[in-house]
Amino acid sequence: MAKNEKPTEGIDFEKSLAELEGIVKQLEAGNLALDKSLALFERGVQLARACKEKLAEAELKVSQLVKDKQGIFSEETFKEERD
Amino acid sequence: MAGALDPLNPGPLESTPGRRVLSVSQVNKLVAGMLGEHFSDVWIEGEISNFRAYASGHRYFALKDEGSQLQAVCFRHSAQRLKFELEDGLQVVAHGRLEVYQPTGKYQVILDVIEPKGLGALQKAFEQLKRKLEKEGLFAAERKRPLPSLPRTVGIVTSPSGAAIHDMLKTLRLHKAQVKVVLFPAQVQGEGAAEQIAEGVATLCARPDVDVIIVGRGGGSIEDLWSFNEEAVARAIAASRVPVISGVGHETDFTIADFVADVRAATPTAAAQLVARPWEELETRLSDTAGKLLEAVEQLLFEKQQAVDELTRHRAFELVAADLANLGHRVERMASAAEGAARASLRDAVTVLTVLDRSLNSLNPVARILRQKVALQALVARLEKPTLAFLFRQNVRLGQAGARLDALSPLASLGRGYSICLKPDGSIVSRIGEVEVGEGVHLRVSDGAIDCRVERTGEN
Repeated sequence: MAKNEKPTEGIDFEKSLAELEGIVKQLEAGNLALDKSLALFERGVQLARACKEKLAEAELKVSQLVKDKQGIFSEETFKEERD
Repeated sequence: MAGALDPLNPGPLESTPGRRVLSVSQVNKLVAGMLGEHFSDVWIEGEISNFRAYASGHRYFALKDEGSQLQAVCFRHSAQRLKFELEDGLQVVAHGRLEVYQPTGKYQVILDVIEPKGLGALQKAFEQLKRKLEKEGLFAAERKRPLPSLPRTVGIVTSPSGAAIHDMLKTLRLHKAQVKVVLFPAQVQGEGAAEQIAEGVATLCARPDVDVIIVGRGGGSIEDLWSFNEEAVARAIAASRVPVISGVGHETDFTIADFVADVRAATPTAAAQLVARPWEELETRLSDTAGKLLEAVEQLLFEKQQAVDELTRHRAFELVAADLANLGHRVERMASAAEGAARASLRDAVTVLTVLDRSLNSLNPVARILRQKVALQALVARLEKPTLAFLFRQNVRLGQAGARLDALSPLASLGRGYSICLKPDGSIVSRIGEVEVGEGVHLRVSDGAIDCRVERTGEN
């Protein structure tokens, strides 16, 4: 699984968003040097982009449980019978 | 049975013509035959009393009205088909046949269909189960668990081919819910459906990854939705490790599953929306925060730009004025030196003039002012470029440019003790003839201005 991970799959959406919110707070406080602000801004843009990409690539994963003869369930990809 | 005995041919008992004697068994058999013939298909209305349920599954009770009683039995195979439980005091309409129990000679009615009077059987069953589970506290508000703040894996129990799963997946996709769906395909109506639904809830909540379960199906008649009114489903929902959302039928359909579920959604689509909502909120939070990030930086840039504007508006212009004054003084000094030199010798004068010319060229104030003005205009123009990243970079450069400007400023000369004398109208005073005694003047020094009044003037 790990080897098939897309680049943004590694990021934790909530964590990234929380960091982004922290950055905005620091910038809004406005008492930072320009270069520090620039660095924060760049990090913020990076986080926002990663989060947006993660949302954009969202593809609903749907599986179904199928019972075998021994009554043991296994997970299979679910294909909708309707469109 | 009716023809087992011929009353006209009574058999070998003590019968004589005109007197026919029957055995007890014969009477009971005859009665049984007659009852069987005339009461094999009868509907009876009455109230249940003295109800007893036996371990065998048979139900014994009496049907009564104000004046009379009738013994009744409902055998297991019929009792199992009842959607509700029989109980004392219940008014029913029942169908069956009369039968004589020959060992006792008592007759009773064997019932195969029983319906509560007034309400439908399903309605009655619904109310009975609802009352029972409510009494157990299964519907209590304090049992309701909140939905996970951000669901990751959603277990769904429904038909794999119904409208419900289609609607739910569509809704989850529409709202970009970052969830995994595990479907437990179950029959959602008919015989055995309730057991499958219950098994689905139990199986899904046993998976460690599932953090919320939806049970549901699309709309239908009360019979179609019936499985969700069965005790097995209610028990499974109540026992679930994770919160359960019910989404059964339409807005107006209420099932027992709805009462036991942690959250009742009006429809399967609404159930899916509940799961998707936190993801939607997260997306809104993201765009809000991204917007705030840009605003914060724009504000920062705005402040820096104002600082630069300040610089160009005041210090830079003063700097140019100071430059002008400075250069003016030097040119004058050189001019008077040139005059003196001319008086001394022409050759010296030529030499001095050549030097003066060269100095003037190298110090040409107009060219210098123009250069500075162009440089400032370029910086301001670049500041006004619209793209944010560009603005940001340019502001960094402007900041550096401002610092350089500071370093180059002839105000540094003021710092060394020179000052510029200005008249109230802002013109620079470079000759004594330009002021009058008693007039106020303005001395610009390195860190500010000194207001003075002219006391007297005199040539060097």
